[in-house]
Amino acid sequence: MRLRGSGEKEGRDYDLGAVTSDSGDAGVDQGATLRALTEAAIRSEWDLLDSLRGDAFTTLGEQQTVDALTVAAAFNGITRVADSTGIPLDDAMAEATTSIRAATGIDQYSYAEKSARYDL
Amino acid sequence: MYTHELPLRSNLTEAHALSWRSIAEPGAFWTGPERVEMVAQSRAAMNCKLCEERKAALSPFAVTGEHDEIRGGSDLPLVLVDAIHRIRSDPGRLTKSVFDQVVAASISEPAYVEMVSVVNSSVIIDTLHRSLGLSLPELPEAREGEVSGSYNTAAVDRGAWVPVLDADQDLFDTGMPSVPNILRSMGLVPSAVQLFFQTFRPHYALVDIPLSISQAQAEFVAARVSALNECFY
Repeated sequence: MRLRGSGEKEGRDYDLGAVTSDSGDAGVDQGATLRALTEAAIRSEWDLLDSLRGDAFTTLGEQQTVDALTVAAAFNGITRVADSTGIPLDDAMAEATTSIRAATGIDQYSYAEKSARYDL
Repeated sequence: MYTHELPLRSNLTEAHALSWRSIAEPGAFWTGPERVEMVAQSRAAMNCKLCEERKAALSPFAVTGEHDEIRGGSDLPLVLVDAIHRIRSDPGRLTKSVFDQVVAASISEPAYVEMVSVVNSSVIIDTLHRSLGLSLPELPEAREGEVSGSYNTAAVDRGAWVPVLDADQDLFDTGMPSVPNILRSMGLVPSAVQLFFQTFRPHYALVDIPLSISQAQAEFVAARVSALNECFY
């Protein structure tokens, strides 16, 4: 997870478990606002997002709000590229994140796990 | 494409405009009209009854039926339309069987990769518009012309569903490979890589992100999207 790398660089310890959870504080600045904006955007909750965006313009700032949604939009596309091509984790990343993936539940998203769960 | 007062960076709006025009042009394996229809099908998936029923089912493969028709009808193979709808509406539950069904219908791996690029480039553009409260851009006007048939014959098997770009595995000091697998994933079709990453690149950087939010805030948003979309990578 890149968030862990950012934390190491900044000398901060982010809670990665909060990232895969629908609640919780990862320890990122303005995390609650970023979480709410991101979840509404990815869940296509447009009316809610209209309201959240207006609030965020005040609390976070217009540019920061737009930039956060810019990142969310990008990853809404690139995650689909990964999931449409079955691309495996990079070797170095796979080795470095073994325990994190297990602890945060990310392993359940592996393609083999998904096939076992969903294919008939 | 963007006529508003919001503080979007010019490199992003210019990249999106270029991608929109590129989608409408003949590609390596799909014509301009076919590529524009891929975007239309992706949009249709958001209000498609079959997609909604599948998303509510324990397995997305337990529900059969027909996808809602789009205006003007479809010129794409049904199996490809089905793959597009699944990619757009329920990406977290995609399995290799979806890809296998496309290939079994005599649609080549490079043609599949091109579709992935077109659909997901449009996902980025559409998501940003909706997220900012903007109307979706009108579909681009398709341009006639011949497909190039061009693809990378030197692509290699790296354990993905499709052959990928052959590249060194040198590591940056970030611990990431200099060419991560996601950059290699569509390497079977160079024009697909070009289209997608010209759309994506102004949105994000692995280090020194050129946005008003911090790298950690960007990584948090990115990781949260990955979790919501149940993306392993």
